[in-house]
Amino acid sequence: METLIIIDQAPYGGFSGREALDMAFSLAAFDQPVSLLFTGAGVNWLRKGQMPDEIYQKSVEKNLSAAPVFGIEKLLADETSCLRYNLDKEDLPAGVVVVDTDAKVIASFTQVLFAG
Amino acid sequence: MSDAPDNTFSLVITGAPYSSQAPQTALAFAKAVVDSGHLIDRVFLYGDGVHLASTLIAPPSDELHLPHAWSEFLTEHKVPAVACIASALRRGLVNQEEQDRYELGASNVLPAFEIAGLGEWVESNVKSTRTIYFHAGS
Repeated sequence: METLIIIDQAPYGGFSGREALDMAFSLAAFDQPVSLLFTGAGVNWLRKGQMPDEIYQKSVEKNLSAAPVFGIEKLLADETSCLRYNLDKEDLPAGVVVVDTDAKVIASFTQVLFAG
Repeated sequence: MSDAPDNTFSLVITGAPYSSQAPQTALAFAKAVVDSGHLIDRVFLYGDGVHLASTLIAPPSDELHLPHAWSEFLTEHKVPAVACIASALRRGLVNQEEQDRYELGASNVLPAFEIAGLGEWVESNVKSTRTIYFHAGS
């Protein structure tokens, strides 16, 4: 049973994305296969050089860099959304796979859930 | 033929009462599950959903008291309910144990709800036929 967690909101504006990430880490900690898909404004999670110190938040960039270590299977980024937010493939963190999100991608997971 | 119910459900509520419809929709769903002879493995409150477990909610008397309505349902059908500890602590939802641990001035969690970690959600995810999410919507 593999779970896909979809993050479709930009970081820092709300808490649901961070809580979705905690869910992913928690599944991984119990050896349950889990992947993350960033789509829509959510692809901004993958932007390099985030400096959220001034708004007293922790960097989601740093959080995400730990994902492979903690056993998150795949980090997926929606291609169209990356284009819309002007994110080049070369600018994405190592290990992120750009996908054309279609029904087939979603259907390859047993369970799909959204953050908040 | 087994006597065991065909389907077990876990419910995850992430929308807060009185700012979203999520807890009421979830309660209607939960009642339908039980009425259909299925089983609810557990209810998990996450994010803003933890406010449902508060003893300090006092809506006007002509409105549904969601924390009480949920508590009655949980007690009547012996359904375990868990509020995520990280979500709860951030939002000021604490039981006696957490009040003591963090030396806080009060505790405010209804007896029908426990406070525990995301591991409870992971377990329900594995055990249930379906895990259904009740979000606030955007």
